[in-house]
Amino acid sequence: MNGGGSKVVVDDVTVRFDGALALDHLSLEIGRSEFVSIVGPSGSGKSTLFNVVSGLQRPSSGRVLLDGRDITGETGHVGYMLQKDLLIPWRTVVGNIVLGAALTRGVRGRDREDAAALASRYGLGEFLDHYPHALSGGMRQRVALMRTLALNTDVLLLDEPFGALDSQTRLDMQLWLLSVYEDLEVTILFVTHDVDEAILLADRVTVMSVRPGRILADLPIPLPRPRDLDVLTSPAFVDLKRQVLGLLHTPAAAAAG
Amino acid sequence: MSAFLRKSAVRLAMAALAVGLIFGVWNLVIFAFDLKAYALPTPQASVSAIYHRWSIFQPLTLQTIKETAYGFGIGAAIGFLLGVFMSASKTVQRLVYPALITSQAVPIVAIAAPLAILFGFGVLPKLVIVAWVVFFPVVVNVLDGLAHVDRDLVNLARVMGAKRTRAFIAIQLPATLSPLFSGLKIGATYAVTGAVIGEWVASAQQGLGTYLQTANASLDTPGVMGATILLTAIGVASFLLVMAVEVAATPWRSRSTARRKTRFPGEMLVGHSDSDTPDTKGARRWFGSHPAGVPRGSRSESRSRPR
Repeated sequence: MNGGGSKVVVDDVTVRFDGALALDHLSLEIGRSEFVSIVGPSGSGKSTLFNVVSGLQRPSSGRVLLDGRDITGETGHVGYMLQKDLLIPWRTVVGNIVLGAALTRGVRGRDREDAAALASRYGLGEFLDHYPHALSGGMRQRVALMRTLALNTDVLLLDEPFGALDSQTRLDMQLWLLSVYEDLEVTILFVTHDVDEAILLADRVTVMSVRPGRILADLPIPLPRPRDLDVLTSPAFVDLKRQVLGLLHTPAAAAAG
Repeated sequence: MSAFLRKSAVRLAMAALAVGLIFGVWNLVIFAFDLKAYALPTPQASVSAIYHRWSIFQPLTLQTIKETAYGFGIGAAIGFLLGVFMSASKTVQRLVYPALITSQAVPIVAIAAPLAILFGFGVLPKLVIVAWVVFFPVVVNVLDGLAHVDRDLVNLARVMGAKRTRAFIAIQLPATLSPLFSGLKIGATYAVTGAVIGEWVASAQQGLGTYLQTANASLDTPGVMGATILLTAIGVASFLLVMAVEVAATPWRSRSTARRKTRFPGEMLVGHSDSDTPDTKGARRWFGSHPAGVPRGSRSESRSRPR
């Protein structure tokens, strides 16, 4: 954690769908510029948690604070990215990156310049005018992340963003995200099923339980940054992985499933 | 470019072959059943009738094209607006949809007569009839397109802070373009039939449809077939025209990059210029707030791996 107080606070949030508990009095604090991975079995309410933080889903009770301000049920404060890239087919790479501006205040020349610079910086300089269908899966996810970055929000919610990619591309994307994160001062909440991915990227791994969604454990990842491929085979990494896997398969997690 | 030309040439040749095939079968039928010219003239005789009577056919063709085009425009506009309007509410949709289906079940010839009584014998009843047959496929396809917009995309727009109307204009509306054109293509071929029916039932002005009727009555079969060929040509041309507009309006479906003129001016400067460290110029916003020396790791310039 980088200090400076909490960036995002999920305060005692409960979400009930037709009587079924999706999130049960869940509290979570994320520090400024912290990278938190959330792992847990399917149905542990990870996506519901994201919908609450992004403002799409109003919780049955509880609050969401951003920089100490109550943003419960308000959209437009955080960046959000899903497993589906959700690129707009009729917009070019640059057009997709500036989507946030297009949807709110209108696109200015400056936005396009910034988008082009961002794309060039992260290896898509040749593809500024390409339509999404002409890009590979990895490139599309990269554009989707740039679109999220271009929102200029300093909190990013990434919901299994690399889940649909092949393992080689996924590893490339993870390393790329590491470099982006190390470049920028952003706070990232990252949902994944992949324990390796969770540990490789995060400062902290939060393990959730199944229905109702609760936090089972919170595990700091003290691996030094910048991180690279070698981290994956280091003894410290393997030890952390053993701990997370143990937590994921505790009787409590299994019984709830 | 040469590949594009070759492709176009092949397509054109195939189209010519298709027309030749139709005319060939036409001739074959006449030969096989020993049909007399007054029963069914050869395609050659029909085309020659068009050629020799062009001074008669020309204004008639123009009149029918006008009715078809205006009626099509009105029908397409009504269909599109109705589709957007109906998509706004499930209740409206449940209320209006059965009425639309009923409107199409009514025999168009049957309502043509009352339309003539209502609107007289001018161009108006014809436009109404053409629009009547055109709007339906447009409504159905636009509604379908709007219903199939990815919910996650709409949610994403909301997360980005978009107002409802803005999200609708930026995301839902363009998504209707492809289905809209499917509807328009169907409508374009129906439109000619609508115009002919309109002319038959309510006509003071002469068009190809009225000519067809009089030629038929006087057993002028080359005239009948000539007018039919012209009507068919109008239908095919309308279809092709809509298709051409479709390609121009939805470039992302046929091209991998946007045309140069749709590029923005700053991009050449930022993306490709070698001077003024282009990469960091626009990226200042991303890294500007980032004081040098903050222990966030090195700025890995060459980390990106294009795949």
